[in-house]
Amino acid sequence: MPAVSTPAIAASGLSKDYGSGRGLFELDLEIERGEVFGFLGPNGAGKSTTMRLLLDLIRPTSGSAQVLGLDTGRNTLEIRRRVGFLPGDLAMYGKLTGRVVLDYLAGLRGGVDRRVRDSLVERFDADLDRPIRELSTGNRQKLGLVQAFMHEPELLILDEPIAGLDPLVQQSFHALLGEVSAQGHTVFLSSHTLSEVERVTHRLAILREGRLVIVDSLENLRKVAVQRLEIEFAAPVDAGEFRSLTGVTEAHADGATVIVGFEGAADAVIKTAARHDVRAIRPREDDLEEIFLRYYRAEPGK
Amino acid sequence: MSWRTTGIALRLRLPATLFACVGLIAVMIAVGALFPAVGHSIGKLHVSASVANLLGGADYGTITGWFRSEIGIFYGPLVIGALAITGAAATTAGEEEDRILGLVLAHPIRRSRLVAAKATAIAAIVVSITFAIWIGLIVGVAVGGGGITIAHITALAVQLAFFGFATGAVALALGAGTGNKSLALGVAATVGILGWLINSLAPLVSAISWLKYLAPYYYYAGRDPLTHGADILGLIVLSALTLLLTAAAMIGIARRDLRA
Repeated sequence: MPAVSTPAIAASGLSKDYGSGRGLFELDLEIERGEVFGFLGPNGAGKSTTMRLLLDLIRPTSGSAQVLGLDTGRNTLEIRRRVGFLPGDLAMYGKLTGRVVLDYLAGLRGGVDRRVRDSLVERFDADLDRPIRELSTGNRQKLGLVQAFMHEPELLILDEPIAGLDPLVQQSFHALLGEVSAQGHTVFLSSHTLSEVERVTHRLAILREGRLVIVDSLENLRKVAVQRLEIEFAAPVDAGEFRSLTGVTEAHADGATVIVGFEGAADAVIKTAARHDVRAIRPREDDLEEIFLRYYRAEPGK
Repeated sequence: MSWRTTGIALRLRLPATLFACVGLIAVMIAVGALFPAVGHSIGKLHVSASVANLLGGADYGTITGWFRSEIGIFYGPLVIGALAITGAAATTAGEEEDRILGLVLAHPIRRSRLVAAKATAIAAIVVSITFAIWIGLIVGVAVGGGGITIAHITALAVQLAFFGFATGAVALALGAGTGNKSLALGVAATVGILGWLINSLAPLVSAISWLKYLAPYYYYAGRDPLTHGADILGLIVLSALTLLLTAAAMIGIARRDLRA
């Protein structure tokens, strides 16, 4: 067995070219063991392609990847034995009940502790007795989560895991992620919105048009987030005074209050405000979502 | 092999297979029951050789000719072929297009083992359907007044089963090799129907007579099992074709990307 010091996932120049600019290109990525890693990007950015490459469901055009220290091309069975996978847009045998399908998948996998499976079923309140085609999207997703977690895998690869889940089940899912992370297991999960992964991930990557845009911790991303100040003046002030300042991304007035959004130091904004009679300055929450949208739309700085 | 996968594939097709078995037995008995009234009154049709060939000899005056024309030449292979082809295409390319295979193959099972398991399930369905036809033929012939030996009925059933294996294997190879269900269904069905047409017309058109050797249908019906018994050479060819195509399916799916 490879040394535990190897990353949970290591991709080097990993590419899958579908032509017409679609696919995944030159992905270099390392995810450490025990991390909960978020993989963000708009639809079609290459998130699912990356996950399918890691599980050898599709083969790379170039580059390579290792999962749990094992080469994805040569050791695929061993990798799949030790990984739990939830595909995006989950589909199962509609005519069969959840119980039959879970029994089948558990049998294929081997080593599934019935008590673990039952506790997951109870935790997510999964319906095992109705044919899967009669279940709602959320209830099917619960079965998908049970099958992904039931063998207590070292690595979980989850593609859009909370799609269709109600807020209560989302809460259970997030709690479960915390537990498996505390046990040293690694989670690699994708989403197309930040709010889905913000609470649970240690680090995250943003993918756009098949290329990695940034990999960083949430803390570091917050540092470069757009900051906003709400400045209340004694009398109305022209917001245009702030718009011309370096680093200011937006400024608008609402009565005697001006809201200024800016990147970097607040010095110029404060000095401009100080020319007037300032009643109060209130910071607004950093808007991380704005950063992500900028990365989604185009490369920052361009 | 993964017996669990075979079990799931069988379970998914159990209701359809049971209905088909019951229906086929009923059809065979009905065909036998009609022979004394209809068969005797029609007798041997005096039609052109090409039409007679398409109808399996057009001899409705004997019980062997009656069952050959009604069941052996078209209806039997049509039902067996249709069930084998649809089952093989659905369990490979169909599941892939439905995105089920992507989940199953994220588990520790080799693609080749998965295909072997599904091929076993389709073979089991073909055997079940053939067994129902065999029972139905025995009862139907008895109802029709007898006249075909159980050995010859068994020969027809065995030839039918091997024809089902081969046509199912065509769909299996195409379904597993391409992941395209429509392609697998279309090509396999065409192979079956063209085989019947070519086998029927080949004696009349010397230019295409050699083509019959390329069609699985010839190795099923070429020697008329209801009259002459089992065609061992035909069974060997159908077996070899089945094994080759199943191997191609196992290799084909292992070498390509899953489509969904």
